[in-house]
Amino acid sequence: MIVLGLDTSGYDNAVGITDGDKVLADSLFSAKTDSLEQIVANIDSVLKDAGLAIEAVDGIGVGLGPGSWTGIRVGVTVGKMLAFATAKPVAGIPTFEALAYTARDSSRLLCPIISVGAGDAVYAGLYNFKNNEIMRKGDYYVGGIAGLTELITESCVVIGTDISSMAEAIARATGKDVIPLERKPCGAAVACLAAKRLARGESDDVLALTPLYLKESTAKAFVNKYAKKS
Amino acid sequence: MLVLGIETSCDETAAALVEDGRLVLSNIIATQFDLLKKYGGVVPEIAARRHTELIGYIVKESLDRANKTLDDVEAVAVSSKQGLIGCLMVGVAAAKSISYARHIPLIGLHHVEGHIFANRLSHPELPFPHVCLTVSGGHTMLLYVKDGSTYELLGTTLDDAAGEAFDKVAKFLGLLYADRNTGGGRIIDELSREGNRKAFSFPRPMFRRKELDFSFSGLKTAVINKFKGPLARGEKLPLPDIAASFQEAVVDVLVAKTMRAAAEKRVNSVSVTGGVSANSRLREVFTETCQEKGIEVFFPDLSLCTDNAAMIAAAGYARIMRGETSDLRLNVFPNAPLGG
Repeated sequence: MIVLGLDTSGYDNAVGITDGDKVLADSLFSAKTDSLEQIVANIDSVLKDAGLAIEAVDGIGVGLGPGSWTGIRVGVTVGKMLAFATAKPVAGIPTFEALAYTARDSSRLLCPIISVGAGDAVYAGLYNFKNNEIMRKGDYYVGGIAGLTELITESCVVIGTDISSMAEAIARATGKDVIPLERKPCGAAVACLAAKRLARGESDDVLALTPLYLKESTAKAFVNKYAKKS
Repeated sequence: MLVLGIETSCDETAAALVEDGRLVLSNIIATQFDLLKKYGGVVPEIAARRHTELIGYIVKESLDRANKTLDDVEAVAVSSKQGLIGCLMVGVAAAKSISYARHIPLIGLHHVEGHIFANRLSHPELPFPHVCLTVSGGHTMLLYVKDGSTYELLGTTLDDAAGEAFDKVAKFLGLLYADRNTGGGRIIDELSREGNRKAFSFPRPMFRRKELDFSFSGLKTAVINKFKGPLARGEKLPLPDIAASFQEAVVDVLVAKTMRAAAEKRVNSVSVTGGVSANSRLREVFTETCQEKGIEVFFPDLSLCTDNAAMIAAAGYARIMRGETSDLRLNVFPNAPLGG
């Protein structure tokens, strides 16, 4: 099964193609603020380099985020509308899960961390890789690094971009052995995880697919806070 | 040629199928009035999230309602210029994905160009050249429309759009929170029918100025300043009279400037489009005034006044017929000028 994976949650367009366990393509395009401009053209060039037409794709994997709100909207909209227009199944993959998957050789606790982009706030998840499956431990985390360190009670691998300083902070606070793994969102990892889900018949409702924001918009948070008080 | 239109520039998620730029087969619009009421205005991030949730369903519905599938669609047109950046992006991402997956042409265009074409959908006989007043919650523009592709901007609002003033005055008067699924313009229009248009004398901004630009912020502030004291003291306000007097001031300015533009450009046809063109008093005064002056005035069907994708499909069709298309790198330009 040929699966196209994409993730635009960071400052890059990650596009990958897998066929079963084989990675046919895994590209990362620097996209700063022009994810929208680039993404479909980048998908086209990756498919062409692999000698494939969009019709050859059997399923689509989409990195849901968290990350840049604009970025995940672009990725999710492109992913679901490509799936809709080609009548192929889609599987949404949390970007955390794909990041953790890139460290699957480790038997340690895996902790992908994504910057919120304001202060030292981060999005994080805790995962184990067991029996060839990524398993999430507990809920996703949104908050400062200090709060995250309280959740980490064993040695771990922290995964993400500009990760070494965060790894040091977590190691200092927890006294545990913390290995930093510098990783950007990965299209092939999204495709691999999507292929596993699609093979199990666990596709998502194409039209219903939405990003994993993990944070409400500032306006909504403000209104909710105000509504609770009054 | 069957064109799928997509429109997400503000707070309407819309998709439509239009045959040959003329025949509307479906025109699906999901409004976000519930959010407008909750937050008292359009919050860009919240609107963009809603577009992302809805876009697939709306496109599917536009196909189902027209009894068509994507196999029948020959081109995709999308609003890519003017609007809220995060909102425009959702429509453009959807449009380019469909274009790429189906190997059909893509055309991105200016949202206001869509409004100009809304009237061509309702009135194929609308002649060129004409003067077009396009007026909504997001823009207020006077245009000289030479043909289907060239426009000269004669005037624009220097501050609030006319529809924005309607919304803000309605919000100030506490009318938006009524249990109604509609924006401020329609509420004021309906309320005004029971009111006295001459009860209060509000300013007609820029009325006597020769320029064809508009300004509605001062008028809005005049209404607010006059009644904020009584409102704070809990006095019962003569809402229909306030609504009717405010509406009359807006209508007077819009009609007068449009007539001046028609005279300057020596045209005998005037086209009024955009959400505010649904206003019944605006239609009434335009019709009377134009009749006196021997000018023909055109309004779109009510379903084509507010933001919709049928007008985008029609405008896109015209561009495609002129040999224009956009490539897969189509981007959004929230503040793009009209034309080009």
